[in-house]
Amino acid sequence: MFSLYETRSETGMASGTKSKGKPKSKGAVKGGRSRSAMSRPKRPKPWGMIAAVLAVVLLAGGVFTYAFMQINEKEKWIASEDNKDPSENIDGVVRKEYDSGQHVTGEQRVAYDQSPPFGGPHDQAWAACSGVVYDRAVRNENMVHALEHGSVWIAYNPDEIKGGALDKLKAKVEGQPYLMLSPYPDLDRPISLQSWGHQLKLDSADDTRIDDFIRSLRENQYQNPEPGGRCDVDGTGFDPTNPPPFVAEAPDEKTAVKMDGSGAIDESQQEQNGQQAPPMTSVPAQPSQSAPAASTPPSQ
Amino acid sequence: MTEEGLPEDDSPAPSRTSRILVVLAATVAVLLVGGAGGMLLTMSQVENASPPGPDSVDVGFAQDMRVHHLQAVTMAGIERDRTDDGELRAIAFDIESTQLSQSSEMAGWLTVWGRPGLPDPGAGHMEWMSEGGTHEHTDGHGETSTGAVQRMPGMATAAEIDQLRGLTGRKLDVLFLQLMLRHHQGGLQMAKYGAEHARTGYVRNLARKIVQSQQAEADAMTEMLAKRGARPLPS
Repeated sequence: MFSLYETRSETGMASGTKSKGKPKSKGAVKGGRSRSAMSRPKRPKPWGMIAAVLAVVLLAGGVFTYAFMQINEKEKWIASEDNKDPSENIDGVVRKEYDSGQHVTGEQRVAYDQSPPFGGPHDQAWAACSGVVYDRAVRNENMVHALEHGSVWIAYNPDEIKGGALDKLKAKVEGQPYLMLSPYPDLDRPISLQSWGHQLKLDSADDTRIDDFIRSLRENQYQNPEPGGRCDVDGTGFDPTNPPPFVAEAPDEKTAVKMDGSGAIDESQQEQNGQQAPPMTSVPAQPSQSAPAASTPPSQ
Repeated sequence: MTEEGLPEDDSPAPSRTSRILVVLAATVAVLLVGGAGGMLLTMSQVENASPPGPDSVDVGFAQDMRVHHLQAVTMAGIERDRTDDGELRAIAFDIESTQLSQSSEMAGWLTVWGRPGLPDPGAGHMEWMSEGGTHEHTDGHGETSTGAVQRMPGMATAAEIDQLRGLTGRKLDVLFLQLMLRHHQGGLQMAKYGAEHARTGYVRNLARKIVQSQQAEADAMTEMLAKRGARPLPS
């Protein structure tokens, strides 16, 4: 950029740079040359010249502004070290911080604090997010896990979004990595976009903020706990052609896993269930020493 | 210095102001033209030192090939998980792991280049292959075009993927081979274009490897289909 900038401006700048130091004399030279040749005594205002210069300035200014806006428009949606959350450029995005990695079983339910949820404890099996269009509402616990992998979930109210509007959303999602579309019964707005820790509710499938939201947050390395995680589900037990159904009723407060993860199967609990439980039954008095005891039986 | 001796004196005060203005405006104009030219050049990424630009073959290839690869990963994962045939499980596992790794490699380039990791939502695919307007490609419907397409060649529909998921045994194996063969052949166009036209050496290198390995796998899958008494899908 700069090398060309310089060569291009060299000819024009030859006089321009000098004129910075002595604008008066320089102006005089230029004006003198053109005007003295025409009519020295009268000196009419050089309107033609002024108009020409003005035209050039406006044109160049326009080009400059256009180029700047174009570069800026493209760059501002790209997540980077200096722009970790491009969705800050979008009006109406709700943000919340959630801890990642808290898993529940297929039988458990999470008492989500948002509807639709966009973070928090979730099922061990993630929903397929490889550009999947779900015709039926899917269990929240699976959808939230797919958000953790960096996908964007477009939820819509099936009573309000149908026909052409629904086709638009389907065309946007189908076959496109890290996108999911599903109906969400009784959604309080026609459309709701979810990314991990981010939500944007909208009224129209034509809203340009849908694409901006996807640009900003899909696979965003700074906002998603596990960007690039798999969207394919084979081997996990999740069947995208027959996904676990959405449950409209609020979960039972006593048994539901809380947003802080209490009741979730975290690693320490998995250890308790998987490793320490059997020794506890056989050696009930010293559960914490069961491992060393097993490795050194002669000492006892 | 010599300039000062020239007709400075006979310029009256009022027009001097306007001359200064004219000179200032001209200076600004020159700067703006230079700056605008520079920015336009940046946009068309003439420089070699900068990362590939948003409309470059390198970026277009990496973004679109990721989408293409990730669908192969999906299909291969279904086959690997469900087939009873050891030979097919092996080739499915091979395709799944290789293309997933290549997709991640391309995602890494795009991050380093400061470009989006996937194509812009709703913008279509393969526009980067019409560089100069002289190259043609075939879209998913067998139509030749030079602009963006909605479905890349070889890509399976959602219905075909669901169908694959619903099958077992020989029927599963045959449909997998048919879909993956078509997928590989469709991807070859893009890979060949990338191998020839990408600016960055490591992009051309990966594109060449994709051409080589997918050509070999396509040959192997053609044989496997014949062995099972089935034919390739029309491309």
